[in-house]
Amino acid sequence: MQVTVKILRYNPEKDEKQHYESYQVEADPTDRVLDLLEKIKGYQDGTLAFRRSCAHGICGSCAMRINGRNRLACKTLVQDLNTTKITVEPLLGLRVIKDLVVDMEIFFEHYRAVKPYFVNDEPPPEKERLQSPEERERFDDTTKCILCGACTTSCPSFWANRNYLGPAAIVAAHRFIFDSRDRAAAERLKILSDHFGVYHCHTIYNCTDACPRGIQVTKAIGEVKKAIMTGSLD
Amino acid sequence: MLLRSRQVPQLGWNLEYIMWIFMRISGLAMAFLGATGMALAFLMGARTQMDLPTLMRWSFFPNPNHVVNSNIPDVTQGWANGFWQVMEILIISFAATHGFNGVRMVIEDYIDHSLWRPFLRGVLFALWLFSLLVAIYVILAS
Repeated sequence: MQVTVKILRYNPEKDEKQHYESYQVEADPTDRVLDLLEKIKGYQDGTLAFRRSCAHGICGSCAMRINGRNRLACKTLVQDLNTTKITVEPLLGLRVIKDLVVDMEIFFEHYRAVKPYFVNDEPPPEKERLQSPEERERFDDTTKCILCGACTTSCPSFWANRNYLGPAAIVAAHRFIFDSRDRAAAERLKILSDHFGVYHCHTIYNCTDACPRGIQVTKAIGEVKKAIMTGSLD
Repeated sequence: MLLRSRQVPQLGWNLEYIMWIFMRISGLAMAFLGATGMALAFLMGARTQMDLPTLMRWSFFPNPNHVVNSNIPDVTQGWANGFWQVMEILIISFAATHGFNGVRMVIEDYIDHSLWRPFLRGVLFALWLFSLLVAIYVILAS
């Protein structure tokens, strides 16, 4: 089948502003949007820039707006879009470096701000820090985050003010706050209760819709709000 | 070993936290106060004495001026007293604070770090205080 791929392009060395360019591509219904971009870059226009790495939905590199929704290009099949006209645009809310490549520095700055690593200064036991299956289950959902940025860049609160930590950073914090082995929950909750923390979330649910891993992002943010209120990490 | 209960010290109150809780409580309170106003209006004969728009105006701001043109024979009998003044003050306080805080959130969201933000915050605070004082004066004077 013939597919028309309309891409929002921008070359900082040539263009004053972004503009659309269309490409006709021969595609199978089971092709992924990433395959179409590869075909365009390989056979039609080598100047097209986009990020990709694993191409299997794990690395989170190829998050972009496909037909108006944030998705991973490597997980989006042509047949799932129910159309032969595909529009591909860079993620919103971040500075475009070139074509579909955005500057994710502020995204990772917010990620680093919530201490997204295991903190426990107690002397380690002889073998391992034990955790029951139930305790592991408590934060299982938020361990699935691949830092693609689809949630944060679909959030109108983040579009409005980039100082807002954003859903991805809160998800990363949630993963450690509710980990029974971690000891820095209070510190993270203090960071998240700050001016640009969880209270900038207006429960719009775009993040939950956008997450390619199916993480219940808004629910996780709600749990963090509850932990701030009650002090309970159950 | 199942789920062990874990607790961290509760954080101190900050403005964002207080207003987040306030928005939820005031939303519920406005619905409750409106329903109370409506229920009591029915008990006082609203079903036969006023039309729906008048009833709605009364429910969400139970001021006797809102029902004076209805078929109530005498609004001073039950429709104008200290209880309704307290209801009015509560509703207007919750509604104005809820609404102005919504505008504050828009300012916090859309105005980046600049002198505009403290300026607009100040203007908003002054407007909130002014409108509340005027409303309470009107309620007590009417």
